[in-house]
Parts: sequence; C-alpha cells; structure tokens
Amino acid sequence: MFRRFSTVSRHFNAGKSNFTSITQSEKEHFQQLASTWWDSHGSQRILHKMNILRMDFISDNVRSHIKVNADAETDDEKLFIPGWNHENILPKEISNQINKELDDATWNMYKEMKLQCLDIGCGGGLLSESLARLPNVEKVTGIDMTPEVIEVANQHKLLDPMLSNKLEYKLTSLDDIPNSNKYDIVTCMEMLEHVDYPAIVLDKALSHVKPGGYFFLSTINRDLVSWFTTIFMGEHILKIVPLGTHTFSKYIKESEIRAFVNTLKNEFEIIDSKGCAYLPAVGWFYTPSSNIGNYMMALKRKEVVEPVVLVKEEAK
Amino acid sequence: MFRRYLSSTARNWNSAVTTTNDIVIIGGGPAGLSLASAIKTSPILKDLKCTLIEGNKLIDSLESYYNNPPEYIDKRVVSITPTSMDFLKKIGGWDYVKHDRIETYDNIHTYDSISGAKMEFDSPELATMIENINIQSMLYQNIKRANNESTENELILLDNTKVIKIEEDPHSEWPILELSNGNKIKTRLLIGCDGYNSPVRKFAQIESRGWSYNRWGNVATCKYRDNEIRLSTGWQRFLTTGTLALLPLPNNWCSLVWSVPPEISNILNKLNDEQFKFMINAAAKLSEGELKYLYQIADNDSDKLIDEIKWRLEIFNNKPTNNSEDYPLEIEFIVPNSRAKFPLKLSNADSYIEDRIALVGDAAHTTNPLAGQGLNMGQADVKSLVETLEKSYMRGLDIGSKIALEPYWSDRYLPNHVMLGIVDKIHKIYSTDFTPIVWARSFGVNVLNNVPFIKDFMVQQISHKD
Repeated sequence: MFRRFSTVSRHFNAGKSNFTSITQSEKEHFQQLASTWWDSHGSQRILHKMNILRMDFISDNVRSHIKVNADAETDDEKLFIPGWNHENILPKEISNQINKELDDATWNMYKEMKLQCLDIGCGGGLLSESLARLPNVEKVTGIDMTPEVIEVANQHKLLDPMLSNKLEYKLTSLDDIPNSNKYDIVTCMEMLEHVDYPAIVLDKALSHVKPGGYFFLSTINRDLVSWFTTIFMGEHILKIVPLGTHTFSKYIKESEIRAFVNTLKNEFEIIDSKGCAYLPAVGWFYTPSSNIGNYMMALKRKEVVEPVVLVKEEAK
Repeated sequence: MFRRYLSSTARNWNSAVTTTNDIVIIGGGPAGLSLASAIKTSPILKDLKCTLIEGNKLIDSLESYYNNPPEYIDKRVVSITPTSMDFLKKIGGWDYVKHDRIETYDNIHTYDSISGAKMEFDSPELATMIENINIQSMLYQNIKRANNESTENELILLDNTKVIKIEEDPHSEWPILELSNGNKIKTRLLIGCDGYNSPVRKFAQIESRGWSYNRWGNVATCKYRDNEIRLSTGWQRFLTTGTLALLPLPNNWCSLVWSVPPEISNILNKLNDEQFKFMINAAAKLSEGELKYLYQIADNDSDKLIDEIKWRLEIFNNKPTNNSEDYPLEIEFIVPNSRAKFPLKLSNADSYIEDRIALVGDAAHTTNPLAGQGLNMGQADVKSLVETLEKSYMRGLDIGSKIALEPYWSDRYLPNHVMLGIVDKIHKIYSTDFTPIVWARSFGVNVLNNVPFIKDFMVQQISHKD
C-alpha cells in the first residue's frame, strides 16, 4: 500500500534526470507558502522553532567530533581530558576549570573550521541563513526547485549584510549540481517527505559529502503517531501547519534509512539519530525514540587516508 | 580658492557617517556597562561590533573616580547580592573594584514603629553596599582592558553623545540612530539600558504598567557617632509613612534611604543638614505620634526643632527598657550636598523584547528600593540576555530577531514580576496602622523571627543564594 523506500528504483531510473525533484502539486503548495515563510510569529512559527533544534543538532554533532588534541605533537601540548564522571569526583572549581579549558579549546577550533555547506530544499532559507551566520561556516549554497521560495530567500537574505558574501541561492535540482562539487556539510531537512524517490535523492546528496564531512537529514516516520501529530492535529485541528504540507504515504521510517545507510557501511556511519516532537507552549524537544514521529539523523563520511605517493627525484 | 571651497564641502558631506553595528547599547549606567563588559568578555560574542552610547560625560568622571577617588562616599549607593557580585567577578569587572569603599554586611535588623515587633535576617555576606559609580568605574576599566586585548574589534564607548532620533530603516527594519555628533548608526539589535523613561521602550511602543507609591525616597550619606564599635548591620524601620533604612558603609559611614509621602518630603527638604540629621535620629527611635508632632514643628517653627528632638531622645535613651542595641547608632554628620530625593514607583514593561529591541534593568522594570533589589534584578537581566545572545549566535539566528530574543523574555519576566510583587506587598503591609493588620503583621513577624527555616527561605530569596 505504501511506497517502499528502496534503492531498487535508482537502477531503473539511471538514464533519466530530475528524479530528485518534487512533483508539480508539491511545487504549487510551496508557492503558496512563500509569502509567509519568514513570519516567525504566524503560520510558520513551528518551522522557525524547529530550526532552532535542527541547528542545535547540527552544531552539537560537529562540535562533539572536534578532537582538541589533534594538533598536539607532544604530551605537554595536550589538554587534559578527564574521565566521564569527573564532575562528581573532582572538586567543583577544578572540574569547572577543566570544562572551561575544554570548551574554550573546542570553541577556538570550531571557529576556525571554514566549512562549505549545501542545503538541499532550502525553501525560504531558514536553515541556509542560520548556517551562513555560524562563525565556522565559510559558504552556504541553498538549492530549491520552487522559483517563488528562492525569490523569498533572496529577498530575505538582503536584510542582513553579513550574509551577502557567505550565502548563495540557486534555483536548480540536485541533479544539476556538478558531481565535482563537494561539501563539508550537506543537509536535507524536512525535504525527503516531499520527493517521489527519496533513495535517489539520498544517494545523490551523499555523493556531495567530502571525506570526513557530515550529512544531516530530518523527516517523519511513517506511523500512526506521525499521522496523528503532523496531519490530524497539526493541519486539521490545531492548524499550526499549513494545510496540505504533508503527504502521509511519503513519510519514511527511520529503520528504512538505517537499512539504506548500512549498504554504504564502508563509507558512511550514522553518528546520531534523535526523535523530536513539538508542543505548542514548549517548542521542539528531543524524544526518547527516533522510531516514532519526527526525527533527525546525522551521518559522517569516513576520512580517506591519502595514499602516500613516493615521487622519485628523477621523475621531475 | 575654489578648490578649497570644494574640498571643505566634500568634508562636511563625508562627516555624517552611517555605520552598521551588531549591537548598540543606550545608557552607561551599571546595567549598560555590565552588558557591554559581559559581551566583550564572552568568547562567543566578543567579535560582534558593539557601541555603547551615553548622554552624559561619563569617561572623565569614571577615570577621575578610579585614579583619585573622592573623599566622601557618593550618595548613590546600592546593595548588591552575592549572586550579582559573582556575576561581576565572572565578567572580570571586580578586579578593578575600590575595596576600601564597599561594605559587606551579614545582618539586617528590621523593626516596626507601632508594635515594636522586630526581625533579624542574618546570613554570612548577605549583601554588599557599593557606590553606583564604583560599579561603573570597575566595568569601564574592564572594558578598557578587553579592548586592549582585541584591538581590531574594540567596543566603542561614545559618551557626551545624545540620541536625537530613532527611526526604522524602511527596507531592513533595523533601527537607525541619529546622534548629536551628526553621525548615524544602523544596528541589528538595539538594547535599552536607558532607565525608567526609556526612549528605546517608547520607540518600540512597548507599554510599561505600574503605579507610583506617592512616596519620595530621600537619600544622604551620613556618619554614625563614633562612640561604639558595632558589626556592620543594615537597619530598617517600618513607619506608616514609609521605610527608614540605614545601610552600612565602611568606617562607620552609612547610607540613608528614607521614604516619605510628598508632604513630609517637602518639610524635610526645607531643613538644613543639622536639622535633618536630628530628624533622622528621631525617626529611628521615637513613636509615630511624636514624629507627627515633630513634622509640624519642622514645618512651622523649625528653629525649635533641634531642642525639641534633643530632650525627647534623651528621655528615650535613658529609659531602662530601651536597649540601645536594638536601635541604630545616632547620626553625627551628613556629607554636604549628599541629600537628594526621587519618586518611588513600581512598573513592569509588557514585554522586554521586540524585533531588533531588548530592554534591560530599569527600562524594563522599576521597583521601590525597599529590599535593594533594583540593581540586582538588572544584573540578572544582563546575565540572562548575554546567555540568550550566546545561544542564539551559536544557533546561527539573527540575534536581533524576536525569535532569537524570546528565551531572555521568558527567563526574566516572571522572576521580575514575582520580586516586584514581594517588594510591593512588604511596602503595603507596613504602610498601614489599621489595627488588625498591625497585629497580624507583628504576629507574623514574631513567628517568622522564631521559625528559622521560613526566615532562611526569605534570606535566600533576598540574597538570591542557591
């Protein structure tokens, strides 16, 4: 009954382009949303609030993979990293001091990262703008296939001078991004549930991740809870999400993505997966299970150790 | 000649510069300077382009205070809690405090003019008395140090500069400030630390609600008679006309805050320092009836006032049932020109944030100085706002947008509201002589004084201890 999330489709589509795109009806829906995209206290408030949690998810994952002692050559240069329970064992002043030193070192390395990002399905640019404002991001490219929302994103970008050199929007499909373009961070937020062939999109998106880079996605589990919260309550009863935003049959189970990533085991690992939910007075929060309702997932591409090429003097 | 004319017009044309900032703080009081200092010392926010604008000549007076502190303690003195002090230490300002001009006390002694019920709050380092200008000067020195450490991105401090007009950029909706020096600043976030009549709040069209107490606070810096050494204690006497508070300063000096209705305030203002001094000593000890009579004499026949008070105090002091330890020492000297008065009011703004706007300290809320909470609430605001800005910056939000500022609002509005409510209720309960309430409150106070855990809770609330 439901469309299966499978990698089979990509084989029989191999010759055609634009299988990563959204359908005409989805496009029309986003055209209607364009004008209210940046109204953080109106119909899009829930998306603005979600952006906060998404950004936390992204930066927490990036920061937790910073190795503060990576550049230290001797033991003296290394920062002391205590055991997991040091707050309970060491005196408060000392554990605070250790935490502060670690935080400062992490922050200093984080700040210098100069990341390149690709935001697939950027919409009005909520996530793209936030990524572009991060001190560790050098450049963000946001792509979307609906001209109206790209127009909104470009207009809104002009309001903040700090974005002009860091952020660029393109009206294009993922297929038209050259294969040679690689990024440190690729995101597919609240997007897979709007495309017809998510496996192809995922496959294509992952191919743009640099070795050591990150891929972030968020979407919705295909289960009764999701139908109840996102469609029944969200769109019909509470009306906090514009009507027609979601199509239940396009929701993707977390386990399906997990199975897909497992076929790429040599290249990608899932470093984080968290369920999340929204309560009107509270905002978005993490739930204990990523198998129910909305969820976010972080993938990391494995580092490739460059083979050492010995060039003989004579060859030059 | 023609060329010169041309070049000079060109220069004039260029002299009005519009710069773009991330943050503009209006107001160089303790709240504004703490905020500037906290932003400059935050590893996350220190690279933001930030300007502080103050209308008065601030830098010269802060430098001269720091290099040559005046002989007498200034009349504008505040009581800060250990939490506020910790915050000032954390942002680095406390390194530059003038230690010999502050006094930490462990004890507040309150008593009631009608029933005589008394309550003592004690807790180690309950609060510290400090001059406003001491706080401002240490924060200014701290900002100077931070600026020296990152010279490429200094916090700009414009003093003696007034904001003539605030308008909104028609396109980006960022506020544009027109300054008295002819320049314009466009800013992502405008923070009003500009006091009760906050122009920033008016620009943002945020309503502030509250009421005036119909009371004037009279302040002065005084010296106790040097005949007895006592532990530093804060004294508060609840009179039906208002509170008389004598808060300790170093070397037997103290700071007076006496709130009275306008008619009594007018009478007190007519008195010279010598007469005023006797009036304080009377108000600390004599009964309400005697005080009423003394106000009349002060109004109509002020030459007789000192003698009238002298003999009444002599009778009072010689009465064997009156233990001198239960009352403050008598005042011997008032620092010339240290007397001032200000109206007491309570207010809380409907919101502390708007798109591109945040309000901090008195611009957001004012309280009566009864429990010395005004400045401490401002410090808590600053701490919360800086944490909010750090978090929003790390999340890549536009720090001037309302959605980025929301955590500050939800963090501070309720605690401030509760504190305003507590201080207001204390004021109202003590400004009545309606018998059942007098009984109830002296019964309440007596019970409270003997039930340690409730009092501990109150001390905790007042000193913000965890």
